[in-house]
Amino acid sequence: MNATPSKDKLITRRSFVSWLVKGSLAGSALLGLGALGRFISFGSQPSSPSQVDLGPVENYPPGSRSVATSAAVLVIHDEGGFRALSLVCPHLGCTVSVSEEGFTCPCHGSRYLPDGSLRNGPASRSLDSLRVEVDAQGHLIVYTG
Amino acid sequence: MHRSLLLASFVLLVVAGLAFWQQSHALAPLAITPSLTGQTEYCLTCHADLPEISPSHPVETFGCVLCHGGEPLALDANLAHSSMRGEANPSDLTVVEASCGGEMCHSGSALADRDHIQRVTSSLQATYAGAIAQMRYTFGAQPDLTPHQGIYAIDGLSAFDPSTETSPMLQQFGSNCLTCHLSAQPMTGEVYNRWTGCAACHSTAPASDSSLVHSLTTSIDYTQCNACHNQGNYSLADMQFHARIDEPSDRLHAYYQPIAQFTQCEYTLACTDCHTRQEVMGDGQIYNNEKEAEYVQCQTCHGTPDSLPLTHTISSEDELALRMAFLNPVIDLQMGDTILVTDKGEPLWNIRVMPGENGGLPSYELFSKPIGERFTFNPVMGSACQQDPTQQASNTCHECHSVER
Repeated sequence: MNATPSKDKLITRRSFVSWLVKGSLAGSALLGLGALGRFISFGSQPSSPSQVDLGPVENYPPGSRSVATSAAVLVIHDEGGFRALSLVCPHLGCTVSVSEEGFTCPCHGSRYLPDGSLRNGPASRSLDSLRVEVDAQGHLIVYTG
Repeated sequence: MHRSLLLASFVLLVVAGLAFWQQSHALAPLAITPSLTGQTEYCLTCHADLPEISPSHPVETFGCVLCHGGEPLALDANLAHSSMRGEANPSDLTVVEASCGGEMCHSGSALADRDHIQRVTSSLQATYAGAIAQMRYTFGAQPDLTPHQGIYAIDGLSAFDPSTETSPMLQQFGSNCLTCHLSAQPMTGEVYNRWTGCAACHSTAPASDSSLVHSLTTSIDYTQCNACHNQGNYSLADMQFHARIDEPSDRLHAYYQPIAQFTQCEYTLACTDCHTRQEVMGDGQIYNNEKEAEYVQCQTCHGTPDSLPLTHTISSEDELALRMAFLNPVIDLQMGDTILVTDKGEPLWNIRVMPGENGGLPSYELFSKPIGERFTFNPVMGSACQQDPTQQASNTCHECHSVER
């Protein structure tokens, strides 16, 4: 014998359509929120930090000339203290290579003396000297921007 | 009412779902921020496998958009390429200033030898002004051989428009004979394959399988020049180009057309070993014809019975010769080296003087620009050559020194 459901337990066509509409709108809203969250959380390439922690000063003993690739600088520790030379060629921005004779730009051949002063073009000025500080933790901080 | 609401909400759901699906399957952008522009670009998302175009243009310094244009943050190929300059060739002369120009790049001052674009765009290879002048003079459209018109208008030249010419021959010239200037699309055939603009000489020709070509070089072999030169002749009789019909099997036969006379050095070396940058790329002047623009002669390297070739000792590290040798390091040129120079003072930076023993006559070493092969040669002075020093055209030298094929 078949049981006939009571009338109040039957889902009416009207309420089914109503739930369907609500469900669709809720789904759309969720997808929209998801897309919005994805849009908001999207991060383009972070800009280069203007100050870079180069680590403990002990890594740069007196008399040393150390390349810090993280900041594209050469750290010089001489009798005058710490100095930093930018390794970015002022001609067009290529990274210069370091040797005992000084610096050479691999792109167009500009060369610099060991102190960063211009030896030959096409660059028209010397390598930039950058500000360096030792912070409270004894780390060397270079200001690149 | 309910039905339309249901339909609308369903459509909204489908659209939102599709958009979400597309977004979640989109390429993860591969970003670079070139140091010259400081602007992030996503071009490498699809083009990471392209080789570096040249050591002078590293991608981390230049990026892609500075030279090519395009939409730097687009990940859809059509959108990304929508604003590219010159399609695959940003050096096409119609866009070269925007792509390659700039004070520090290739349209700087003549004093700093950075005026490449100014020189090239006024050169015969680009304007075709000499040939146009000769044709217009020949068929009565102008009273002299002075160039007045070029392929495009530029200082001193108006644009040549064959449709305004009354002579049918000039109209045919316009239709059939304007195929070898730097803005012309190459003729059909493998031997003519090349790009337009700077890339016609400085880049490998387009690949036959349409794969991307990404190279720039100052090491230019004769095959690059022969995409336009030595492939045939334009005939005045029918105003048509007639391709050479021989089928050269080696360099000796391929270099020049069968009718040509040439010496050993003229086919053993590359064209650019002797012909200078000002001859090939122009010097900013509008010349009447190729003969006027080309001024290097045999005596430029060999001298005459009475005089040695002109030389220059490098005394400054900023000299152009050292810059050229850096860009194409076929020779270990140093301060204090003595090289040959032309009578206009252009350095033949790949030819170094070797002093003679015990104060004797010098000899010379030449490093060929495409591959760096070393050749040595002697001056005419002190040799058995009986030339008349006043007769220096190549045909005079060919009288004795032609190579038989």
